[in-house]
Amino acid sequence: MRPPVTGGRGGGGFRGGRDGGGRGFGGGRSFGGGRSGDRGRSGPRGRGRGAPRGRGGPPRGGMKGGSKVIVEPHRHAGVFIAKGKEDALVTKNLVPGEAVYNEKRISVQNEDGTKVEYRVWNPFRSKLAAAILGGVDNIWIKPGAKVLYLGAASGTTVSHVSDLVGPEGCVYAVEFSHRSGRDLVNMAKKRTNVIPIIEDARHPAKYRMLVGMVDVIFSDVAQPDQARILALNASFFLKTGGHFVISIKANCIDSTVAAEAVFQSEVKKLQQEQFKPAEQVTLEPFERDHACVVGGYRMPKKQKTPAS
Amino acid sequence: MVLVLYETAAGFALFKVKDEGKMANVEDLCKEFDTPDSARKMVKLKAFEKFDNTSEALEAVAKLLEGAPSKGLRKFLKANCQGETLAVADSKLGNVIKEKLKIDCIHNNAVMELLRGVRSQFTELISGLGDQDLAPMSLGLSHSLARYKLKFSSDKVDTMIIQAIGLLDDLDKELNTYAMRVREWYGWHFPELAKIISDNILYAKSVKLMGNRVNAAKLDFSEILADEIEADLKDAAVISMGTEVSDLDLLHIRELCDQVLSLSEYRAQLYDYLKSRMNTIAPNLTALVGELVGARLISHGGSLLNLSKQPGSTVQILGAEKALFRALKTKHATPKYGLIFHASLVGQAAPKHKGKISRSLAAKTVLAIRVDALGDSQDNTMGLENRAKLEARLRNLEGKDLGRLSGSSKGKPKIEVYNKDKKMGSGGLITPAKTYNTAADSLLGETSAKSEEPSKKKDKKKKKKVEEEKPEEEEPSEKKKKKKAEAETEAVVEVAKEEKKKNKKKRKHEEEETTETPAKKKDKKEKKKKSKD
Repeated sequence: MRPPVTGGRGGGGFRGGRDGGGRGFGGGRSFGGGRSGDRGRSGPRGRGRGAPRGRGGPPRGGMKGGSKVIVEPHRHAGVFIAKGKEDALVTKNLVPGEAVYNEKRISVQNEDGTKVEYRVWNPFRSKLAAAILGGVDNIWIKPGAKVLYLGAASGTTVSHVSDLVGPEGCVYAVEFSHRSGRDLVNMAKKRTNVIPIIEDARHPAKYRMLVGMVDVIFSDVAQPDQARILALNASFFLKTGGHFVISIKANCIDSTVAAEAVFQSEVKKLQQEQFKPAEQVTLEPFERDHACVVGGYRMPKKQKTPAS
Repeated sequence: MVLVLYETAAGFALFKVKDEGKMANVEDLCKEFDTPDSARKMVKLKAFEKFDNTSEALEAVAKLLEGAPSKGLRKFLKANCQGETLAVADSKLGNVIKEKLKIDCIHNNAVMELLRGVRSQFTELISGLGDQDLAPMSLGLSHSLARYKLKFSSDKVDTMIIQAIGLLDDLDKELNTYAMRVREWYGWHFPELAKIISDNILYAKSVKLMGNRVNAAKLDFSEILADEIEADLKDAAVISMGTEVSDLDLLHIRELCDQVLSLSEYRAQLYDYLKSRMNTIAPNLTALVGELVGARLISHGGSLLNLSKQPGSTVQILGAEKALFRALKTKHATPKYGLIFHASLVGQAAPKHKGKISRSLAAKTVLAIRVDALGDSQDNTMGLENRAKLEARLRNLEGKDLGRLSGSSKGKPKIEVYNKDKKMGSGGLITPAKTYNTAADSLLGETSAKSEEPSKKKDKKKKKKVEEEKPEEEEPSEKKKKKKAEAETEAVVEVAKEEKKKNKKKRKHEEEETTETPAKKKDKKEKKKKSKD
């Protein structure tokens, strides 16, 4: 009956999440945990919520260990929704049995008896997940796509993008910091579709020999000149008619003016660089004063661009 | 003829540009590469040099990143493009090739567009090298490159400093919590000790030595404590109001004391290590701001090299980011100092000069950092020189103030302002300076007469140690004093100033005595009572 649930750690919830309010994914401590193991109970709905056990029972994986979890495909290809007691965004684990950053894993049995493992994607830790939950129209990152990921950090989101593009796709993950680069390289060892690059994204020429043409650039560099960085990389590697996804943190660009004004000026900068911003979503309530802008690059004139 | 050098993870490729006329029109260049067919019309593969293995690829690419052609590339170019024009993606690389191989290189927007086009149609332009072949090569190369970069990380020495200063801060915090825990815990047994010994380490040492407070009397604390404190401790141990504790409890308290002591010992070691490291890595910075502040600056900047790229204004407020951004947001004044506040130069300055000095210091600090990070010299002369300059400036700033006060800079000194008490018209000081009236003190267990004693005795210029005189002698002497004092009233005015000085001395002396031991005090009181009788 019960879907077999593997490894992972109980407890947890989100790292440093601000209270997310009553969003669909139910704020802070939604993704289960905090339940100690009374596996033997029969009734499927039997357990009282908030029994005085708090978080951190014995390690016991999975979200909603007790209830049935149904995984449904999301509107974006490659992304799934796990529907248990609470919904969670998940991606299909490219390396079953391995968690990258101690996230929870859910494995589900198909009708034919094969098992598929999914990893929970935490919108408080990943801006791309936050953008998806924010209702972005198209993330352009889909199975088989080639993605240039600027600002890969330790590779938490990169691992999900690598799940998303699958073995056919490819993720070039650029990160400058040696400290987080170490973790990124370690993560990339397990995932052969991730190509780690320890370089400054400001100088795309330094990794020109590693990167081919890509379909999408995802940029999360939080630098005052991030529009320029994106444009530089796009001129090197983004194919004509390719797309970009950029996450903008208003405070990193100008902390003295209102966030909306910053977003506007950034969008304007992008437009001057042959980008065609199509839509902008706010990352509230997962991040404060962040926006995610999605659009195309050197779009052919005649072709209809995605409606904003 | 123009050749395009295109680097991949698999090897170097040279493409011949068939239609050079189209390079003039940068905007439309990309259209030529829309389809494989049109791309083939635009460029043609001339030569391809494959890397034999990963180590060769790594070597070549590592060289390329420094902007220099590897051996293989030099050979390849010599063989294939003598006398031609070479289009490269990196202008620095182009310069080196031009210099070493005498091959003309170009690097401009058209070249970038061309390369972009080649990249988009690369697998079509080159036969026998598909996507599936390229991917594992760039994967292998990127991993070995990343490994290489992490291994030869340039700022690994700075990391030692960053970790050391982090640990030092942690140790301080930990040490304090532990020491407070010892005090709190042992306080139940011997609460008086916390007042007697204020130093944490001495406290831990004494507790470790003493154990149960009953042992205090038998033990010799002379190696740990000063004589008076030891005496205090022994006295207090006898009359302590603390609870009794068992040996088992004491065992654990002593364990904790050991922890505190070993931690503090290690902290001293670590500090020495940090000092020596700072003096080798950043001697000038250390000379200017000291080891601790210097290390904190490095840790805040990430590395010495990163720090050397910051302007002085940034270094000045490093560590005060929160205040800075709040100030920017609310349009208030930005902070004047961050970490640099703890430098001794800023500490020396008067409050009104702190901002000025921190700005000057930050400017010089940045210069020192740059010398340390990028210069060749290994000594700290530059830092010391600048420190002397800053000290001179500080003196100068403060000197200006003194000059203004004394009026030496402009016109005559205006003394009236400072002499409001002076009666106009009469020369010299007329009223004696105000002194504290000791007679107004009410002291427990003493009469007012007694409290007057000291001041009067002083007039006599007699002795220093009044208290030691015999009671019998004291009374007559006091009477004499009174008479004399009356006789001298006229003279008082002149003497007033002098007298006051003496008063002060006297009081000081007394204070010293009273602070000695409670036991002695008691003796004194008894003596005095007798004298009154």
